[in-house]
Amino acid sequence: MKRLATAALAAVLALLAACRDDALLPADPRPSARLVLPPPEAAVPVTSPRNASYSIDARLFPDDHRLEGTLVLEWRNTTGQPQSTLPFHLYWNAFRNTLSTSARGVGRRAAKADDDRAFGFAHVSAVKLQGDGSEVDLTPTLRHVAPDDGNADDRTVMEVTTPAPIPPDATARIHITWTSRIPHGATGRSGWVHDYHFIAQWFPKIGVFWKGAWNAHQFHPTTEFFADYGTYDVRLTLPTGFVVGATGALVERTANGDGTETFRFREEDVHDFAWTASRRFLERSGRFEEPGYPPVDIRLLLQPEHEELADRYIEATRVGLKAYGAWSLPYPWRQITVVDPAWASGSGGMEYPTLITGGTGLWAPLPLHSPETVTVHETGHQFWYLLVGTNEFEEAWLDEGFNRYHDRKSMFGAYGPKGFGVRYFGLSGRSNSGWPVLAPRVAIPRGEDLRALLRETGQVDVMTRRAWEYRTPGAYSFNAYTKPALTLQTLENLVGDETMTRILRTYARRHVFAHPTTEDFIAVVNEVTGADWRWYFDETWFSSGLCDYAVEVANTPPPRPAGFLDGPSGPVPAPSPAPADEDLAEPVVTVIRLGEVRLPVEVEVEFADGRTVRETWDGQYRWTRFRYPRGPKVVRASVDPDHRILLDVQPSNNAWVEDRGQARRAARKWAARWMLWVQAFLEMHTVIG
Amino acid sequence: MSAAAEGLRRAARAWKLGLLLLGANLLAAALLAVPLAGMLEDEFGHRESAAGMLHGFDYPWWAEWSGARAGWAKSLGPDLLGSGFAFKNVDLLTRGEIPLRLFRAPDAEEAPVDPLLAAAGGAYLLLHIFLSGGVVSVLRQSRPTFTLRGYLHACGFYFGRFLRITLLVLLAALLLFLVYWPIASFLDARAREAVSERAAHAWLFAKLALLLIGLVKLHLVATYARIVTVAEERQSAVLALLSAAAFFARTALPSLAVAAVMAAFGALAVAGWSAFEHAWNTTGYRTQLFTFAVMQALMFSRILLRLGLWSGLLALYERPGAAGPE
Repeated sequence: MKRLATAALAAVLALLAACRDDALLPADPRPSARLVLPPPEAAVPVTSPRNASYSIDARLFPDDHRLEGTLVLEWRNTTGQPQSTLPFHLYWNAFRNTLSTSARGVGRRAAKADDDRAFGFAHVSAVKLQGDGSEVDLTPTLRHVAPDDGNADDRTVMEVTTPAPIPPDATARIHITWTSRIPHGATGRSGWVHDYHFIAQWFPKIGVFWKGAWNAHQFHPTTEFFADYGTYDVRLTLPTGFVVGATGALVERTANGDGTETFRFREEDVHDFAWTASRRFLERSGRFEEPGYPPVDIRLLLQPEHEELADRYIEATRVGLKAYGAWSLPYPWRQITVVDPAWASGSGGMEYPTLITGGTGLWAPLPLHSPETVTVHETGHQFWYLLVGTNEFEEAWLDEGFNRYHDRKSMFGAYGPKGFGVRYFGLSGRSNSGWPVLAPRVAIPRGEDLRALLRETGQVDVMTRRAWEYRTPGAYSFNAYTKPALTLQTLENLVGDETMTRILRTYARRHVFAHPTTEDFIAVVNEVTGADWRWYFDETWFSSGLCDYAVEVANTPPPRPAGFLDGPSGPVPAPSPAPADEDLAEPVVTVIRLGEVRLPVEVEVEFADGRTVRETWDGQYRWTRFRYPRGPKVVRASVDPDHRILLDVQPSNNAWVEDRGQARRAARKWAARWMLWVQAFLEMHTVIG
Repeated sequence: MSAAAEGLRRAARAWKLGLLLLGANLLAAALLAVPLAGMLEDEFGHRESAAGMLHGFDYPWWAEWSGARAGWAKSLGPDLLGSGFAFKNVDLLTRGEIPLRLFRAPDAEEAPVDPLLAAAGGAYLLLHIFLSGGVVSVLRQSRPTFTLRGYLHACGFYFGRFLRITLLVLLAALLLFLVYWPIASFLDARAREAVSERAAHAWLFAKLALLLIGLVKLHLVATYARIVTVAEERQSAVLALLSAAAFFARTALPSLAVAAVMAAFGALAVAGWSAFEHAWNTTGYRTQLFTFAVMQALMFSRILLRLGLWSGLLALYERPGAAGPE
């Protein structure tokens, strides 16, 4: 009995151990040390325009999910023209009712309300323009506008009008009082679940005057944000006992004597402020110190059940700070806060200035790169979103796409290729829940997990569209993240890693604390490379075409002479043909462009005698053909032999090889392996029945 | 535990029967695998991915191939590697996809099992019902021996009764799942709302355990019903099931213990296979032959454990006075 019980226990433990195989990538204590990077450039020498600075006082009432606040916005008119109408975002009004533009939208971030808890709002009760000792009430001028879709029920953008225009370079001081009901946090990026509060996009925030007009879009399910830079000085009052994390550094903590505490956070040169509070947070800390980089304190607020993942979170943050710092500009702030969101919250995987949210599961085998990928990605947004503040509403690829490109590059450099795993018995819709089962010996090369999306969604939309105008949420994800990432990886392969780094460093330094556009980036590419790459972006970013090259080989036997040949005095009958030499051929290599995207490609042809030739083709017409004189057969031909074009949707047809029996052996191997599953699947039927 | 040990002993002695069942299982699976081999060979022809897949797993090729496929062939994927195939099958079972997608949740959106595979499973279930009559007859012997003719005769003799038992068991399973889905939905909601992920997974695994215990109990009752039918020459499937249920109620603990031992050995076999697949690279014909042999050894052990379970239950049933008054 004991032996059987021991054997049974051993069996279960062995199975669990086998499923949690971490052997694919042995844990490295310092993945950040594995990164091979150029030395970083000097730290940012400039400050931001600081033209939208906020001083905020807010009080959280967690029991009835309420928040009351007042703010003073100091807005300096940098528009170059007088302004009297000022738009403000009121994002939480997306959750006000079922009539908002977000609630009418689709996708996982749509403000759908499953129950009353999901509703929330931001109600502005007073707006005043403060002068030298005087105050003008702007509240009567307050009106809600819907610049994107004219939805009269949408309250996510408000406008106020000043009695007199604010002259250029003058600073307006605007005092706003508001109250919010905090929505439940299962759907949106903000909200409460149990005692976990994630409070983002929570205060009335002024729009950006950009490209000669106000840019203050409504809140759509897929869109993110856009704001001007400034200094944030925020005092948050909460009941005692909460651990609080926020944008910036904690400069003051005061016990109020009434069962509440006030936390004061301050940060400069940022364009937003988010915070979180929970009694369950574990607090861990680390530090990023690398030669050539300013040191950064890392503060991790962790769910207790993820305690064993603390070091991995912190190390992934270091990887992000180091890699992105080398590829753009070193992170200039003194601290970064990493938040591990509560289980039931939808706040994971988001970026805010000097504060990010991660996300992971109880069982986190290293090859699946969770929490690493999300942590590196969100850390990356401190560069492509914060240091370079692009418009996430209108050109989402400039932050998400650049970031996806760099997060894959960082992850590959620091952690190696990702493994493949499936989680079983988890909760549907929760990607990190369930027991992870890893596939042995399966590694996903850099960028290859993205290529499948290119095949599926590549033709749905042109990439360069405003974020809410894509046909589907999937098309948004694809065009904001995947396509730009693959396009940049392909560009890196075409211009070289060193040049790509120079491009991105130049772009980052030139547009630090600014709001550059796609055209600004293309201009930098052209400048750094000394060539006009406009065609490349026309074929990719401004197109919905797919890229697909293929190659075919015909080892045509040389013709055997028959009939008449030239003789000394006219045609003579051809001599009897000698036996054909089966090793000789007049090979023909045909390269075909199956997709719409036209990129120049190289073609490598390898002959049976070991000789290799490289051809080039501009890819303009649908196909081209390379003929070779009588000689050894072609044994291998490949288009894009260096695998530079990540945009090619069918890489398997990029090479032709002489078949030496591998096809049959590989087919039998995998059919047999599949058969094992079928055998077990059939046997499973004996359980019922 | 002595019943489990006796079950394993009898199963080991009935290894020829195990081979016969393995042959049937292999033949059924090969009917699908051979066309897949043809498809793959066409796909790999003159492609570099052939070498990639021969020496390892070419993820880019697979992603492309899988994306372009629909139907049963799409199920070839890395999720089947290591212990993944076993988890996948248990997952399919708990989703109500086995057999013939009969017990799927009313709001299930995905269809993880292709209709052809589901149909193959249904056909295999019929084959299993047919072969079971002979299995019980053989295992009843303390030193199991059989001739193919005698075995097939027993299979045919009990087929009708076993078919009726299976239909009733499927009906019971349907009822079980009908009760389970609302409970699962409730437990999912609890998990979704849990304060911590640990609590959430406790709810989720409790849900899984609840269903698996129900299915195991049903399986044990069904097996006892077959034993009763053969041992007592019962004609009525309903009465055989009732007797089996009554017997199981009296012997629930030892019966479940036998099942737990067999399940644990099954898990050990899967873990062994997973370790093998981590360590062993299959490439040329010789390594393929060896891998194929190990795969079939794994399936053989799976079938022997099924026989061991049946034998163990038979041993419990055959204990003096165990059947009790009717």
